[in-house]
Amino acid sequence: MRGPEGRLDILRGVGLAVREGESFAIVGASGSGKTTLLGLLAGLDVPSGGSIRLDGHALETLDEEARADLRRRLVGFVFQSFHLLPALTAEENVMLPLELEGRDDARERAREALQAVGLDARRRHYPAQLSGGEQQRVAIARAFVHGPRLLFADEPTGNLDQRTGHHVADLLFALNHDRRTTLVLVTHDPQLAARCARRIELEEGRVAGAAERAA
Amino acid sequence: MRLLRLSLRSLRREWHLPELRTLALSLLLAVVALGVVATLSTRVERGMLANAAELIGGDAGLGAPQATPAEFAAAAAARGLAVSRDAGFPSVAFAHERSQLLDVIAADAAWPLRGTLEVRDAGGAHAAHAPPPGAVYLDHRALVALGLAVGDRVQVGGRDLRIAAELLREPDGGELVAMAPRALMSLADAEQAGLLGAGSRARHRLLVAGAPEAVRAWRRWLDAAALPQGAQPITPEQTQERMRSAFDRAGAFLRLTALLSALLAGVAIALAAQRYARRKTREVALLRALGTPRRRVLGLLLGTLGALVLPAAALGVALALGLAQGAWLLASQLFTSVPTALPLAPALAAAAIGVAVLFGFALPPLARLGEVPPVAVFRESAARRVRRFDALYLVPALVALALIWSQSDSLRLAGILAAGLAGVAAVAALLAALLLWLARHAAPGVHPALRLGLAALARRRGMSLVQATALSLGLVALLLLAVVAPALLEGWRRELPADTPNWFVLNLQDDQRGDFAQAVARIGGRRLNMLPLAVGKLTAIDGRPVDRLHFQDERARDWADRQLRLSWTGALPPSNQVVAGRWPGAAPAQAEVSVDTSWRDMFGLKIGDSMRFDVGEGQIEARVASVRKVDWSSFQVNFFLLLDPAHAGRLPHTWIASFYLPRGHADALARLSRDYGNLSLVDVDSLLDRVREIVDRVGNAVRWVLGFSLLAGALVLAAALAASAAERRHEAALLRTLGARRGQLRAAAACEFALLGLVAGLTAALGAAGTGMWMGRVVFRIAGFVPPLAPLALAALGAALVVMLLGLAGTRRIVRTPPMRLLREA
Repeated sequence: MRGPEGRLDILRGVGLAVREGESFAIVGASGSGKTTLLGLLAGLDVPSGGSIRLDGHALETLDEEARADLRRRLVGFVFQSFHLLPALTAEENVMLPLELEGRDDARERAREALQAVGLDARRRHYPAQLSGGEQQRVAIARAFVHGPRLLFADEPTGNLDQRTGHHVADLLFALNHDRRTTLVLVTHDPQLAARCARRIELEEGRVAGAAERAA
Repeated sequence: MRLLRLSLRSLRREWHLPELRTLALSLLLAVVALGVVATLSTRVERGMLANAAELIGGDAGLGAPQATPAEFAAAAAARGLAVSRDAGFPSVAFAHERSQLLDVIAADAAWPLRGTLEVRDAGGAHAAHAPPPGAVYLDHRALVALGLAVGDRVQVGGRDLRIAAELLREPDGGELVAMAPRALMSLADAEQAGLLGAGSRARHRLLVAGAPEAVRAWRRWLDAAALPQGAQPITPEQTQERMRSAFDRAGAFLRLTALLSALLAGVAIALAAQRYARRKTREVALLRALGTPRRRVLGLLLGTLGALVLPAAALGVALALGLAQGAWLLASQLFTSVPTALPLAPALAAAAIGVAVLFGFALPPLARLGEVPPVAVFRESAARRVRRFDALYLVPALVALALIWSQSDSLRLAGILAAGLAGVAAVAALLAALLLWLARHAAPGVHPALRLGLAALARRRGMSLVQATALSLGLVALLLLAVVAPALLEGWRRELPADTPNWFVLNLQDDQRGDFAQAVARIGGRRLNMLPLAVGKLTAIDGRPVDRLHFQDERARDWADRQLRLSWTGALPPSNQVVAGRWPGAAPAQAEVSVDTSWRDMFGLKIGDSMRFDVGEGQIEARVASVRKVDWSSFQVNFFLLLDPAHAGRLPHTWIASFYLPRGHADALARLSRDYGNLSLVDVDSLLDRVREIVDRVGNAVRWVLGFSLLAGALVLAAALAASAAERRHEAALLRTLGARRGQLRAAAACEFALLGLVAGLTAALGAAGTGMWMGRVVFRIAGFVPPLAPLALAALGAALVVMLLGLAGTRRIVRTPPMRLLREA
C-alpha cells in the first residue's frame, strides 16, 4: 500500500499452501499483517506483487467482480464482530448469501443452517435480541449456508467469553471435519490455533515460524 | 479571538463532511425560500399601498352607479379643491376584422388629479391628461390585440376614435390586476355615445384633490350629506384595505410554500446535526479527557457553526434578492401602476429566521455533546445518556411554531396551520408506512435486487418514513399548482355547454328589442335571451324599513345600502331550481318575488315575508313566494331577486340580453355596435381567456417558488443519505465480502430509492388527487370532477425516477466500498 511516506510493504516473502479440508491458523502480534494476509487469501484485496491461487484461479489476474463471483461460490466468512445486519432477523441474515445467488430455496436452506447451529427456535429474532455467542452462531450459519469449500474466520472468538468461545470453536471445527470445509482462521488465541492442523506465525509481515499439530 | 481562529480552522478541516454541507445548504434554502417570498410580497404590497392617492387619481372622491349630482362637485370647488370626473366600464373595441374587450376609463380633461398618466406618442413618453374628444389612448395589449398603431382609428362604443397615444401607466383606482386591456377616452365622447346611460355597467367617480384640510372638510361634509342611491365615498384607507385583502389571499399560498420549505429544511438540519454530533462524540470525549472545559468545547462547536452560518446566510440573502428581482421582472407586466424598489429588510429578516431555524433544529444533539463525559474515550456507550423525555427536543418544536406564527401573522391561524401541517404530515407518514408495509409483504419471490432494496428500506424504517413524508409534502404543493389547478379551470369550462352565451348586452331599450333580435339572428347569433333589468333599492322587509333593521350578516347590511338589479319572468330560468315555496308564475294575484338561497340566509327570509323595493319613481311590495338555488357558474343571466311580470312590468327598466356567437364575427359585431351605440357589449370568451392567461402567467411567475419545497424534500433525502452513509458503507462492504457484485448493489440501491420515490410520489399524487377532488366537487361544484389521474400517476413515476437517480448519485461511492474495510473495522 501507499502511505504518506511512500510505498509500504505490509507482507513480504510470504509463501504458503493450504490444502483442501485442512484447518489452518495464522497467528501473530497486532500489526504483523495477519488480517491483510487473510484478506488477500480470500480475494478481498490483491497483492502488489506475487501470486495467490484460490481453487486454481490466480486472484491477482481477476478483477474485483470476478473475485466477488469466486467468493460467492467458494468462500464463507466469520468475523470477530459478527457483522450481522441489525434490521434483519437471524433467518434473513443467513439468507443473504443465497439471495445474492438468486436462489429460490433461500428460506428453507437458511432454516436448515440455523437448525444445524442449534438456533432454529430463534430464527425470527433480531441480532440485538441475541447474545454474543448466539450472534456468532448465526454468523457461522450464514458462512456455510451456501456450502462454501473454504471458511475464513477473523478472530472468531475474540469478542466472546471463554466458554462461549469454546462452543463456537467446536462448531467451526465440526464443519471443517464433517463437511470437509477448509478452515483458515486468524487468531491471538494460542489454544484455538493449537486446534488447527497447521499454523504459521507472522512477524512484521514475514513468516517467522510454522508448526503442525501432532497427529 | 482565539476561539474564532480555532473555529475557522475546525470548519476548514471539516468542510468535506456531508453533514456540514447539508447544514449550510439547508440554511441557504430556508433563507432563499423565505426571503424571495417575503421580498416579493413586501414589494407588491408596498407598491400598492404606499400611495393610495396616486392609485385613486385624487385625494378622495365619491363613487356611484350614475353620474354624481352637481352639488357634490360644487361643494368641493367651494372649498378650493380641484375636481375631476371619470367613469369606468367594459366595452368592446373594433378595428378592421378584429374585436377586443377593453376596460375603458372615460375621463374629463382635468384627470388625473393625483398620480401620473404616462403616454407615448410620436414625441416619446411623457405625462399627460385624459385625451380630448375624438381621441383615445390604448395600452400595448389593446394595440397588439387589435393590430393597431398610434395614429390609427378604432371604434369604441359605436364612435370612431383616433388613437392619439399609447397608454403606458395610469392611476387605475387600485385594481391589482388589469382584467382586460385598457383604453382611456374622453368623458364627453362616452356620454354622447350613450355608454353611460341608466342600466349601463359604468361606475362613475367624482374625484377631488387639494389642501389636506380642505379635503378633510369636504369629507366631513360628504359624511353628513345624503348620498345618491348606491353612492359610496372613496378614501385612500378603503382602497388600501380592499387591495390588502386581495393581496393577502394571493400571498398566503406562497407564504405557506416558503414555510413548508423552511420546515423541511429544518428536518434536514436536524438529521445532519444528529449525524454531526455522533461523529463528534469521540473527539469531544477526547478533548474532555485531555482537560478541555465543557464551556470551551461548546464554544468551539458554536463557533464552527457560526463560521458556517454567516457566509451561508449572506449568500442566501443575495440569492433571494436576485431571484425576487427576476420574478418581479417576469410578473410585473401583470400589475399596473405599481412603483417599484427592491426592499432589503424582508430578505435580512428571512436570514435571521433561517439562522433561528438552524440553531433551533440543530441545538438538541449539539447541546448534548457538552454532556459527553471524559470516560467515553473508553466506553462509547457512556456518551449516551438514556432519557425518558428530553426537554431540549421541545426547542425545534417551539422554533417550528414560531416560524409558522411569523408566516401567518395570527396566533389562531398559526394554530390551525400547525395542526393542518402536522395532520398532513401524519397522513403522509401513515400512507407512506402503509405503502412500505405492502411493499415489504409483497416481497417473497421477487427479484433479489428488489428484495435487498426492500430490506434496506425496512432496515431504516424511521428514516425512510421521514424521507418519504418530506418528499411527498414537497411534491404535493407542486402537483396542486401544476396539475390540479389547470384541470379545475378546464373542468369548469368544459361543464359549460358548447353554445353557452358568450356575449352579454346591457342597456337595451324597450323599443330596440325587436330590431336587435333580428340583427343578432342575421349575424348568426343563437340562444338569444332577454330579461328586463330594473335598478332599485330594498327599502323594507315586512313593512319595517331596512335602515332600522339589524342584520346578523354583514353582507345583508351591505346589500341593503346598495343598488340592486331586479328582473322578472314568467318561466323559471334554466340553471335555477325552486327549493322552497312555489314559483310565482306569470300572473299571481298579488306581487310576488323569488329569492336566491344566499339572500334567504343573509336576510333570514321566510316564505310569506314581504319585501318593498324602490325603483326610480316606482315602488313595489312583493311577497316572498319561493326560494331558488342558482347555479352562478352557468354563464346564464341570473338574478338574486326575480319578480312576477304582471306586477313588475310597469317599473322603469332596460333589458339585458345574452346570446351565443361563434368566434370570428368581429366585423358583424362592429356593425351591431355601430348601429346600437348605446349598448354595452361584453365578450365573455375574452374575459375567460384573460382569466386563464392571468392564472398561467402568475403560475409561471411563482411555480418555481414551489420548487423550493421540492428542493427541501431532496435536501432531507440528502441529509438522510449522509446520516446513513456509514451504515450503508458497512452493509456494502459486508455484501461485497459475501460475493455481491457491484451491479447487484447498484440494482438494490436503485430499487430502494425508486421504491422510496414511488411511495413519496404516490402519497403526493393521492394527496393532490384528494384535495383536487374535494375542491372540484365542493368548492367549484363541478359534478363528478376527477383530477387528471394520468399526469398524477406520471408524476409519481417521475418522482420514483428522480429519487432513484438522486439516490444512485448519493450512493455511487458507497457501492465501491472495498470489502477489506470490513476486516479493518473489526
